[in-house]
Amino acid sequence: MSGQSISQHPLRVDTKERILPEPTEDTSRNLPRLAAVSLNVRLKLIKMADTVETKIQNYRTAPFDARFPNTNQTRNCYQNYLDFHRCTKALSAKDQDVAPCDWYQRVYKSLCPTSWVGRWDDQIEGGSFAGKI
Amino acid sequence: MLGTLRKQLKSHPALIPLLFFIGGGAAMSMGYLARLALRNPDVCWDKKNNPEPWTKMDPTHQYKFYAINVDYSKLKKQGPDF
Repeated sequence: MSGQSISQHPLRVDTKERILPEPTEDTSRNLPRLAAVSLNVRLKLIKMADTVETKIQNYRTAPFDARFPNTNQTRNCYQNYLDFHRCTKALSAKDQDVAPCDWYQRVYKSLCPTSWVGRWDDQIEGGSFAGKI
Repeated sequence: MLGTLRKQLKSHPALIPLLFFIGGGAAMSMGYLARLALRNPDVCWDKKNNPEPWTKMDPTHQYKFYAINVDYSKLKKQGPDF
């Protein structure tokens, strides 16, 4: 894997920062290339979860979102609600820890009126929620 | 139509600035509507292939004309990826 082109995948492995030690001359301890890369990705996931956890701990209110710059924040609220449910569904399907999704929950609880949240939760339980999750 | 317009303008040349201002106003309104239709991230043209275009936005993308307090170059994506 050359360090020339940097992929734009959100979980990209930055080959410049070495997470695993340099491969040594001792070939018996060389990890196969594929296993080394997936270990790097797993470590990157753990690092990402840590940063999200610190962000959740230092949470005060919903930060500015460039996707919704106007006064009407309805779509911001709805999008975070959808993102929370999609995130829990996607991460639990992949058997990963669902804790990073709490960021979306904090944001929608800050933004959305509680009556809306209650109504949407009831609709999800009843199976009549209109959004795509 | 343009023929009658030209004749009327020749006999009443004071109407020419009127044309400029009305034409300019119409062009600006159409231009703003076109910007809203094509650039606004809230607008969804293709429900099947691109249903939520605002999710594909760059977090530093500035839509408003003039940003007073927000430094757009410093914004990052907040939520975790999934």
